[in-house]
Amino acid sequence: MKLALKIAATLGGGIALGLLATWLIAIRGGMPGGVTDGPWHTSLSIGSASGDIYTRASVAVHGLLALNRSETIYYTAFADDEGNALSGTCTYRVSGNDPDARWWSITAYASDDYLIPNPAERYSISKNAVRREMGGGFIAAVGPEVVAKNWIPVTAGNPFSLTLRLYNPGPGVVSDPVHAQLPSIEKVSC
Amino acid sequence: MKARETLVWIATALAIAAIVHVGSVYALPRFIMSRAMAAMGTPNAIHHGKRADSDSRGVVRPSPDLLYSTCPYDLSKGPLRVHAAIPAGTYWSVSAFDANTDNFFARNDRQLRTRTFEFVVTGPGPGNIPLPPRDEIVISPTAKGLILFRTLVDSEDDLARVDAARRQATCEIISLSAPSSSKGG
Repeated sequence: MKLALKIAATLGGGIALGLLATWLIAIRGGMPGGVTDGPWHTSLSIGSASGDIYTRASVAVHGLLALNRSETIYYTAFADDEGNALSGTCTYRVSGNDPDARWWSITAYASDDYLIPNPAERYSISKNAVRREMGGGFIAAVGPEVVAKNWIPVTAGNPFSLTLRLYNPGPGVVSDPVHAQLPSIEKVSC
Repeated sequence: MKARETLVWIATALAIAAIVHVGSVYALPRFIMSRAMAAMGTPNAIHHGKRADSDSRGVVRPSPDLLYSTCPYDLSKGPLRVHAAIPAGTYWSVSAFDANTDNFFARNDRQLRTRTFEFVVTGPGPGNIPLPPRDEIVISPTAKGLILFRTLVDSEDDLARVDAARRQATCEIISLSAPSSSKGG
């Protein structure tokens, strides 16, 4: 009886520990090959066929069916320029000039990685749909309150993240995604 | 003696933990991919997803500006012929992922410079059937996988046009049991 208990504890403890390590490293852990450009994070391993089982598992969890970076670069921001976590209670000013790409978009996602419900059914701004300033740049508002121009709605009280997609990025961005000219994310009010 | 026995039990637990950990990390991409493919619908047929909104739950972080069409495939009954119509004047791409989630093939509208694109996906093993020489052959590392089409909706006015164009795409298994079927050309 005592032996059976020891076997059960060893087996159960071993399986639990193994799965916990997988959860911590491959599911909760960030993407391998991660780099940052201001508030924007990207991974150089997205969309690549890698022989490393850890890289492949993380990409499957965080970037399933993503394209490689010569086709598309995906940057994600979880915090503003100051490094504070993005909160749906605050309003942010996302501004800049067009990143070097054939087409770009900025989309807001809830913490479950899906689009954020809102009555206006607005989820993103993009290169061709964004309304521009005199100099050609753009200013968007990300927050819970209705804004007439370039508004990306988020839910008050909930954390969120932004994904910047660059389709057919310029060669400079592909070779050096850390120094690309990307929009800034400034907190305006809370 | 007692302490030594405890040490053996702990070492055994750690060894089991290591095996379970490596095994689960290895299996995770296949598990995620098979679930995603099952959610897309019947294999070897094309499925045109509706435009992503806050109800979309198929794949994480969908883009609301793209139209996604998918063809989950199973090459156990023969190669897959994929025919795509490429809408003019907008970003379009086709990409292929194996059962392990690896992206092993991709083409976009700028690379192709044509209005249609046809290719054949064959499995990794031997037994390839003769195919017309005009077909581009793509070898899938695994028998199961996924073809994914992305079509950009550049403006709302353009939605109906590009949606109609992407719906002309087809994917189907080339039957091995009826070689005479190719006579129709």
